[in-house]
Amino acid sequence: MASLKRSFDSDPLAANISSKVYVRSTKSGKVQKIVREVYLRQDIPCSSKLCKTCLATAPKTASGTPIPPVLSNAPAGTKNFPQGHYIVPDTNAFLTAMDLFEQDSAFYDVIVLQIVLEELRNRSLPLYNRLVSLTKSEDKRFYVFFNEFRLETHIPRLEGETVNDRNDRAVRKAVAWYGEHLARTKVKTIPAVVMLSNDRDNLRKAKAEGIHACSLAEYVKQLKGGERLLDMIPETEDGDVIKEKKPGQLLYPEYFTMSKMMTGVKSGLLHQGTFNVSPYNYLEGSIRVPAFPKALLVLGRENINRAVDGDLVVVEVLPKEQWKEPSTQVIEEETIAKNENPDADEGEDVISEKERKALQEEVKRTQSKTTEGHAQPTARVVGVIKRNWRQYVGHIDQSSVSQSGQQGRKQDSVFVIPMDKKIPKIRLRTRQVAELVGKRILVTIDAWDRGSRHPTGHFIRSLGELETKAAETEALLLEYDVQYRPFPKTVLDCLPKEGHDWKVPASTDDPGWRDRQDLRDLLICSIDPIGCQDIDDALHSRPLPNGNIEAGVHIADVSHFVRPNNAMDTEASIRGTTVYLVDKRIDMLPMLLGTDLCSLKPYVERYAFSVLWELTPDADIVNMRFTKSVIKSREAFSYEQAQLKVDDASQQDDLTKSIRTLMALSRKLKQKRMDAGALSLSSPEVKVQMESETSDPIDVKTKQHLDTMSLVEEFMLLANVSVARKIYEAFPQTALLRRHGAPPKTNFDELANQLRVKKGLELNVESSRALADSLDKCVDEKEPFFNTLIRIMATRCMMAAEYFCSGTQAYPEFRHYGLASEIYTHFTSPIRRYADLVAHRQLAAAIEYEAVHPSVRSRGRLEAVCKNINVRHRNAQLAGRASIAYYVGQALRGKATEEDGFVMKIFSNGFVVLVPRFGIESLIRLRDLAEPEPVASFDAETYTLRTSGSREVAVELFQKVRVRVTDQKDETTGKRGVKMEFIRAY
Amino acid sequence: MASTQHVLLSPAELAYLHSSLSQTPPIRPDGRTATQFRPLVAETGILPGTNGSARICFADGTEAIVGVKAEVEATGRQEEEGDEEGEGGSGNGNGNGSDWVEMSVEIPGVRDDDSGTAFLAAMLSEAVVADGGLVGRLRINGRFHWKLYLDILLISPPLSYPLPLLSLTTHLALLATRLPRLKSEGDEDPFFDDDWAAATYLYPRGEKRTRRPPVTLLVMAVGKNIIFDPSKEELAVADVTLAVSVGEESKPDSEKQKRGRRLKLVAVRTVDPPSRLTPPGVPNAVNAAYGAGGRQKQTGPRPVEPEAVEGVWRAPRGGAKPVVMAALVQKTLEAGGVADEVLDALDGVDLG
Repeated sequence: MASLKRSFDSDPLAANISSKVYVRSTKSGKVQKIVREVYLRQDIPCSSKLCKTCLATAPKTASGTPIPPVLSNAPAGTKNFPQGHYIVPDTNAFLTAMDLFEQDSAFYDVIVLQIVLEELRNRSLPLYNRLVSLTKSEDKRFYVFFNEFRLETHIPRLEGETVNDRNDRAVRKAVAWYGEHLARTKVKTIPAVVMLSNDRDNLRKAKAEGIHACSLAEYVKQLKGGERLLDMIPETEDGDVIKEKKPGQLLYPEYFTMSKMMTGVKSGLLHQGTFNVSPYNYLEGSIRVPAFPKALLVLGRENINRAVDGDLVVVEVLPKEQWKEPSTQVIEEETIAKNENPDADEGEDVISEKERKALQEEVKRTQSKTTEGHAQPTARVVGVIKRNWRQYVGHIDQSSVSQSGQQGRKQDSVFVIPMDKKIPKIRLRTRQVAELVGKRILVTIDAWDRGSRHPTGHFIRSLGELETKAAETEALLLEYDVQYRPFPKTVLDCLPKEGHDWKVPASTDDPGWRDRQDLRDLLICSIDPIGCQDIDDALHSRPLPNGNIEAGVHIADVSHFVRPNNAMDTEASIRGTTVYLVDKRIDMLPMLLGTDLCSLKPYVERYAFSVLWELTPDADIVNMRFTKSVIKSREAFSYEQAQLKVDDASQQDDLTKSIRTLMALSRKLKQKRMDAGALSLSSPEVKVQMESETSDPIDVKTKQHLDTMSLVEEFMLLANVSVARKIYEAFPQTALLRRHGAPPKTNFDELANQLRVKKGLELNVESSRALADSLDKCVDEKEPFFNTLIRIMATRCMMAAEYFCSGTQAYPEFRHYGLASEIYTHFTSPIRRYADLVAHRQLAAAIEYEAVHPSVRSRGRLEAVCKNINVRHRNAQLAGRASIAYYVGQALRGKATEEDGFVMKIFSNGFVVLVPRFGIESLIRLRDLAEPEPVASFDAETYTLRTSGSREVAVELFQKVRVRVTDQKDETTGKRGVKMEFIRAY
Repeated sequence: MASTQHVLLSPAELAYLHSSLSQTPPIRPDGRTATQFRPLVAETGILPGTNGSARICFADGTEAIVGVKAEVEATGRQEEEGDEEGEGGSGNGNGNGSDWVEMSVEIPGVRDDDSGTAFLAAMLSEAVVADGGLVGRLRINGRFHWKLYLDILLISPPLSYPLPLLSLTTHLALLATRLPRLKSEGDEDPFFDDDWAAATYLYPRGEKRTRRPPVTLLVMAVGKNIIFDPSKEELAVADVTLAVSVGEESKPDSEKQKRGRRLKLVAVRTVDPPSRLTPPGVPNAVNAAYGAGGRQKQTGPRPVEPEAVEGVWRAPRGGAKPVVMAALVQKTLEAGGVADEVLDALDGVDLG
C-alpha cells in the first residue's frame, strides 16, 4: 500500500497557482468552506517612475496606452532616509492613524499593499473608504500594489502560522521585493522602501531581515514639523509607553461573546437597539427595543458599560428590584466629574464618590414613593454590536491641564469635552496642550478598554479659536455630519456645458421639448421667503368656463438636469438635503442648478414638472393631471409682498386675482385638512437678523405667520398627496413615500398627567383628530402663549416623520399622522431634497414620460436611500437649530434683557425655562438661584419645586416667570449660550 | 444481492479456479496469499472545496474518490423529544442520527437508483452510523449538528465488486474531514472561526486520537479457505461472501499505553456471490457428447441436483453455514489480521 503525496514539480504551471481557503458563515447560518484559486502573475508593475522594466510588461489600457506610473522618481527624504523613500504601511498603521496619511505636509509616495487594503476593509469600512479615496487622489501618489497576485511577493501560509503573522510576513516580503526591484533599476539614488508598523514584533522581524522599518512615532519624528503630527498617533499604540495594566483594575464588566449575544437576541432574552443618552443626565441612557413598547432605561456607568451614544448595543433586562424611575435630576458630567485627573487612572472605582451619592439620592426617591407602578424596567449593556464612533468636536478641559503641560513639549494627558453633551469626556494625549487650549478641536475615540474610566482618543485637527465664526460653523457642520466640502470636479462635469447661458430651447422641435406642455402663457408666480434664491415652486390659477377653477403647482424640473446614477446624482443622494444655517447654505446640488437653471426665476423660461387640478369653488378635486412643462414665472414675490398685494383692494390685475383665488381655495383646503384631524403643531421659531455687510447678528425676531405662507403650504401639501397617490398606484412596491407614525399613547402620558394636575385639562390622544381638538381646548385666558407652549411640548412627544419605500410597510402604516393624510410624499422641493428628486423620477415614469430607471425600481437601493436621507434630514434640522442657537447667543452678547418665560420641565434640582421671544430654552439650576444653594423640596406629584433657606422660591410647571437673559460662555462645551437668571415668578 | 457482474468463465474454468482456491494454501490467480490485499495507492485532500476527500486506486485499475461536505443543521424537534424520553440527552447513538449522514454512490454505467448501488450505499452508511462514534462527533450543541454529505464516486469501470474500495476511500475521506472550529459556547447559535487552518479533524489524530471510522471488508470462503479482498474472478467461485464492517473499540484506560487496537465487529452482511448464477458444468458421465448413454437416463426422472463430481463445476447452493460465517468474522478481527493491517496502512496516509 502506498500513499501518494502529489508533488507539484510535475506540473509546470503549478507555481503560478495558489489558493486561499477560508470559512464563510452566512446570515442564514450556513457555514461554507471557500476555496479561491489565486493565479500569480509577473506583469503587475511596481509603478515607480524610476523603473523601466515594469513599464514594458505592464498591462495596458484598452486603447493600448500604458498606465502611467504613480510613484515619484524623486520622492521626499527624511532625516534617516535622505535618498528619498517610499512608504509601505501595514494595516495597523492605517487603522490607528488614518488622519496622518491624509496630511498635506507629508506622507506622499505610499505603496498600499493589497493585503493591507483587504484587511482594512474587513476591519473598518469607513477607514477603507477614506483610503480608497486617497488612492484616487492624484497628488498624494498612493499606489495599490497587488502583492497577493504577483508571483514574487505571494507567500503561502506556513504550518501553524496565524493569519496575522502571515499577513505581516507578506508585507515584509513585499517591502523586501520592492527594495530588490528598485535596486535593479541602477539609478543613482535609489529611494529606500520603508515599512511603517506599530507592531513591535513585526518591526523586530523586519530589522532582522534587513528591511527598513519604523514605528509611526519614530517615522513622524524624522519629518519636518513632525512634533505636531505626533498627536495623531493614538496613545495606546505609542511605542513603548503602553502601561502594563495590573490585574484587578478592570472597571467595567466584560462584554459577552458575539455568538452569545446573537443567540440571546434571537431567543428574546437579550435585546438589541441603539443606545441613546439622555440630554439631561449623562449617566442615564435609554434604548428602544422592538420587544417592548417603552424604552428600557440604562442607569449608571457600570450598566452603561462603555456604550457611547449611537452605538448599536445588546442589553439585558435587570431584575425587578433594580427597576427605577427616570431621573428627575439634572446630572451633568462636568459638575460631578470635575476634578478628575486624566493621568491618574489607577485604583479608581468606576463610580466616583460623588456619582454614587447622586445615585443614592435617586434610589431614596424611588423607594420613598408608594406607587410602585412608576418604576421603569432597567437594563445593562452586555455587548456592543457596532460602534458608531465618529469624529467629535470639542475643546480641552482647562481644569485637566497640568501646570507642566502648559509649557513643555512633553506629551500630556488632558480631557476633551465634546460639544455634544451625550458623549463622555475623551482622554487625549498631546504634546501641544498649550496651543490647543481655547481652540475648537476635532478628536476621535480610539478605544475604551475595561481598565479605563474614560475612552481614549487622539487629536485630528484644530478648527480655530473658540467662538470665531469660521470655527463654530465648521464645528457645527462636522457635528451634524454635513458634507460641506466643495463639489468635486466629477460632479461639476455633469452640469450642462452652457453654464449660466443655458436656456430653454427656442425651437419646440428640440428633444428637450419632447412631451413637454407649453405653459408659458399661464400667469404663474412664485411666493417664497425674502431673499430666496432656490425657487422650487410656483403657482397659478385661472377660472374655467364651467365655473370651476384650474389650479397648478409647478415644480423645478431638477430630474431633467440630474440624471440617475451619475456623479452628481450620487453626490446629491449622499448629501440628501440642503442645509440652511443662519449665515450659510450648504447646497445639495451645485449652485448653477440650484440657484439658476432649475430655480423658477421670474421673467425667464424654465423647465418644470406641473401638477394641474380642476377644483370646484369648494376646493373639491374634479380631476388632476401631471405633466412636464415649460413655464415662465411672471413674478417672484416674498411672502410679505404677496400678502400686501392681496390685502390691497386697489390691486385688480389678473395676477393678484389669481393669488386671491388661490388664497380662498387654500383656506378651504386647510379647513378640510383640519376636519380630517390634521394637527397644527408648533416649534419655537426665530429669525436672526444680520447686519448686511459683516453678517454679524444684530437682532432676533420670532417668525411671523402670514396667510400667504399657508397658501403655499396648502398647495404644496395637495401636490404632494396627489403625487404620492399617483406613484403608489404606478409602483406599489417601490414608491418613495413619507409617513408619520402615530405616536404611542405612552408618549403623551407625562404631558397628559401634567395638564391634568396643573390645569385640570384633559388631553385626548385617541386619534390625531381627538388630539387636535383637545390641543385647541388647552387655552389659558390670561396667557395666550400657553396654547403654543403645549403645542411645542406635544410636538416633542411625536414620532419623527420618515421616508420609506412603499414595499416595506402595509398600506395602513403609510398614514401621515400630523397631516392626517392616508398617503404622503415629498415632491415640491427637488432642489433641496433628494427624496423629491426620486419622486420626480418615479412620477415621470408613472406618466410614461421616460423609462423607469433601475435605480428608482430597486427596492434595496431605495431603502438605502431612505435610510440615508432620513438621517440627513434630521441632521440638517439639528444643524439649523444649533446655528440659530449660536447666533442668538452672539446677538445677545454683552446685552442683558429681562424677558418672560415659561417653565416647561422641572427637576428636583432645577427647571427648564422657555423664552418665546428668542425661541430659546435653558436650564436654571438651584445652585444658580442663590449662594449657597437653597434647600429644595420637590413634589413630583404636583410638579412643584419649593426652595427655602438662602432664597425662597416656589416654581411650578407651566408657570410664567420673569428671567434675565444674558449671554454666557459655557465653560464646559465652549459654546456661547444663553444664561438665564431667575428674577421672579408671576 | 448479486454482485452484478456476470463472469464470462466457462464451467471448466470455474471448476479449475475453485479447486485451485480450495488448496492449502490456496493458489490465487494473481498470486496473492489468502490474506493479502491488492496493492493500492491512496491520497487525501484532492478536492479543495470539500471538507475532506480521498482517492484510492487499486492495482487492478479500479479507482474511487470520495468527497465529504458538512453543513450546519438545526437539530429537529423529534430529536429533542427523543432525548426527553430518556435517551440521556447525549444525542448520539440513537436511530435519528442516521439522517445526519447522507451518502450517494455513483458507479459509471449504472443508474443511481439501481438496487445494487442502493444496497452498496446502504451498506456503507450503515457501517458508518452503526459504529456510533460518528453521530456523537457531529453534534455541535443541543440545538445544532453537522450534517455530512458523502459523495462516493467510482471513477473507473467496476472491474471488481467495489465495496472494499469504496469503503476504504470513505474511511480515508472521513479521516481527512475537517470541520470549522466552533467559537461559541453552550447552546448558543453556532459561530465558527473563519480560519480554515484552525478547523479541527472530525477524527482527531495524534494526542487526542479517537476511534476511527469503520471499514467494510469483503471476505469469502472457498472450501475451507478464507480469502480476503477477492477479485472478480475469485468471487465467481465463492461459496460464501461476507461484507464485514470492522470498527475500533475504545480502549479501557488501562490499555491506553499499549500499542495496537481493539477491533470490534460493527456489521455483517452476506453478499450473494455471482457464483450462484453461473451455469453448472456437466460431468462427462452424463455428457452425451462424450458418449454417455442418453437412453439410460431418459427413463428415470432427472435429478434436480446431480451428485457433485470431482472437477466438475457446480454453483454453490444454500446459505452460509454459521460455522463458516463465524470463522470468517473471526479471521477478520484477529489481532494482526487483515483489518488491523488495513487500518495500519491507512494510518500511514498523509492527511495534509
